[in-house]
Order: sequence, then C-alpha cells, then structure tokens
Amino acid sequence: MSRELTFKNMPPGVCVPWEAKEKELGEIKGDAGLIREQWEKLDLFGYLYLWNWVQR
Amino acid sequence: MADMEKLAEERKKRYLAAMNLEKPDRVPIRLNFSGEFITKVSGYSFQETYYDWEKNVDATRKMLDRLDLEMVVGAANLWWATLHDAVGAKYLRFAGRDLDEETMFQYVEEPYMLPEDYDDFIANPTEWIATTYLPRIHTDLAEPGSYRASAALIKGAFGLAQQFAAGGEATASYLRDYGVIPSIVGISKAPFDTLADTLRGLSGIMLDLYQRPEKVKEALEVLVPHNIFYGMATAQGDTDFPLFMPLHRGAYPFMKMEQWEQFYWPTLKQVIEGLWSYGKRTMFYAENIWTPYLEKIAELPEKSIIFHVDQTDMDKAFEVLGGRFCLSGNVPNSLLAFGTAEEVKDYVKRLLDKYARDGGFILDAGAVILDDAKEENIRALIEAGIEYGVY
Repeated sequence: MSRELTFKNMPPGVCVPWEAKEKELGEIKGDAGLIREQWEKLDLFGYLYLWNWVQR
Repeated sequence: MADMEKLAEERKKRYLAAMNLEKPDRVPIRLNFSGEFITKVSGYSFQETYYDWEKNVDATRKMLDRLDLEMVVGAANLWWATLHDAVGAKYLRFAGRDLDEETMFQYVEEPYMLPEDYDDFIANPTEWIATTYLPRIHTDLAEPGSYRASAALIKGAFGLAQQFAAGGEATASYLRDYGVIPSIVGISKAPFDTLADTLRGLSGIMLDLYQRPEKVKEALEVLVPHNIFYGMATAQGDTDFPLFMPLHRGAYPFMKMEQWEQFYWPTLKQVIEGLWSYGKRTMFYAENIWTPYLEKIAELPEKSIIFHVDQTDMDKAFEVLGGRFCLSGNVPNSLLAFGTAEEVKDYVKRLLDKYARDGGFILDAGAVILDDAKEENIRALIEAGIEYGVY
C-alpha cells in the first residue's frame, strides 16, 4: 500500500459513505432519512463522474 | 406526434421480439454509426460536432432527415471536446485543436495506471481514481488543491452533468420527432477491458499477465461489482433495451486460449450474469474475431446477450449460439466503404436468407460505421433489410 486510504471496502456507487458523513454532522434535528437519501443521490453522481473517466 | 409514438412502439416491439428469439414482422435494422459518419452526413465539420454540443445533437437530426432509420444510439459523438479541455485531458486529440478540422479524434494510449498502483486500486478503486488517476491524466488537475485544479474539477463535473442532461433530451426528441428508438441504454465493460483500455493500456496489461498475474486477477475481481453497478446506473434502471458492451482485448488473437479463460472470461461472465439478474440484457459487441471462444460464450444464460458478429465466423456463430442468443451484425464495414450498393444488397440478402429465417436476428454492420462508409451503401443496406427481412 503506497498511502493511507480515506475509506476501505467501499461498495460501488459510493464516494463518501453516509455513515462517515453522519458522524461528522452529529445530532440531526429533523428527518435523517431525507438527508441521507439526498446525500446518497448526489454522492452517486460523484461516483459516476469519477468512473466515467475509466469506463470509456 | 401520435403517429411517431405509434411508429416507435412498432419498432420497439420488433426489436424486443428479435432479442427474445422470436420472429417479428421483419428483421430489425440497427446501425451503430460513429459520430464521424453522422457528422459527415450532416454537413458539419468534425470540429463543430466535437466542440458544439448543440451541433452534435443536431447532426443526428440531420442524418434522420436523410436516412430512414429505426433506432439510434443518441447524439452524434460520445465525447464533448470542451469537457476534456476543461480538465486538460492528455489522452485525447481532437479535430480543430491538435488535429485538422476533419480528422477523427485520436486516443493516446499509455499505461496511465502504473504497476505500483495495483494495491491502492484493489483497496479502493474509486478513491484511487480521484486521488491518483485523474491528476495523472489531466494537466489541469495535476496539483490537487490548486486554483486550477479546483476550477477544473467544478467545470468537469458541471460539464458532464450538462452533457448527460442534453443527451437524454436529445434521445427523447429523436423519439418524439422521428419515432426512432434507442438501440442501447446504458454502457459497461468487461473488467479486463476496463483495466486494459484506459488504465494499464495494452503494453502494460500484456506484461502484467506474466509479471503480476495474481494482482491482475485481484483487480479484475474488484471491478466486477463496479461494472455491474455502472451498467445499471448508466441505464437508469431500464431493462427493455440492451446495454452496450464494446469488447476490445478479448478478441482473438490478443491472448492465448488459456489466458483468455483465466483472465478475460470469468469476470466478463460474472458481469453479464450480474446484469441479467436485474433483467438487463447485454449487447455483446464482439469486435473483430471471437470464433475460438464461442463454446464458452454459449455458457451464458439463454437470451442474456445479443451476440454481435463482426469478423467472427458467421456459420460457426450461428451453429453454436443461434437459437440461444439473438445474433446481429456481420455486414462487412469494408463492403460499406469500398463496395457498390448492389454488392451490399446481395450480401444482405444472403445474410438474411441464411441466418435470419428463424427469427432472433438484427441487421447491422460488423463494427461501428466510420466516415469511410458510403451513404448510398447505407441506403442499400436499409432497403435490402426492408425488402428481404420480412417474415
């Protein structure tokens, strides 16, 4: 391994897992499910953007 | 409008029937045109359609005005040159920038992934792409955190989002205005091709097969779920139309049979089976020659692929795969470029008489149709398909 990875064993479709972001956010006062759902949708676009440069 | 919807429904029904090994009213005609062919027919220059996305979309419309097509891939070119300029792509040369205005783009193949990258790639390929690969292949991203890199990342992501949205709108407009259906929805690759095309390159991967075969196998296994996911994500859940899988390094004779069986086939099979588990069929776009591998390909689940014949032995493909998978292709690109319209018609008639009689066949050229194809020969192919393809 040449350097420290931020995340390991990441599933496809994920850049930054919700679980990591949730810890950073601390207490969520409203609908956590809504925040998670929208986070994951945009995170997926980030994933597709990255892999777009490889899958061509 | 209603007429176009009805026409599109008829075409979709025909296409689906063939893919399901049934006999439709006639053989569907699916032609996989390059952006360069479409551009030539449209009257735009290559530079114009590479750089101006509106002209890229319009080029397909202009082609649809001239040719009676049932389906299209989408806007003319897959790649928008401006998006590549925004990030400083080292690996593509475009008309009007580093090439003259009427020269097809060129891919500059290098082993952009180094042998020492395997461990990081295997541990987390997504992070490796973001932190190592993108800065390495893009001049504007070379210094992560710099102003240039930050601006390039923003422009690259925004540009791709724009391109996705415009591409979707274009496909919808072709259906609405011309009744043409998409020939493919979604794209993915054989894991070996993901590794060998843009990452290690042909020279890199061929050395790896001998110098670090276990690392290659680990990387291929890591790619399997990503390639299934990428295919379904780019298909946006569609399961009606086939996913496009252009197959490159698995063609004969890039590898010995035992290498193909060890390195190429197992993970490709997993990806196709994974897609099929979601109901997504793969267009197995077997560029060049695949004759020695037909028996292995026959192991795939029935109807899970459309086996596309370029220069694979058509008799053998029909014998081994016919009745199990829909077959497509086989009209030689050389004939479309250098033959006469009469020769094209004769070839199509023989092809349909021999291989399409029981259904499960789609008429197409052997490979992607480049700008050397004569428009009159494309017309001849379509006319012959309509005349001789009726069941």
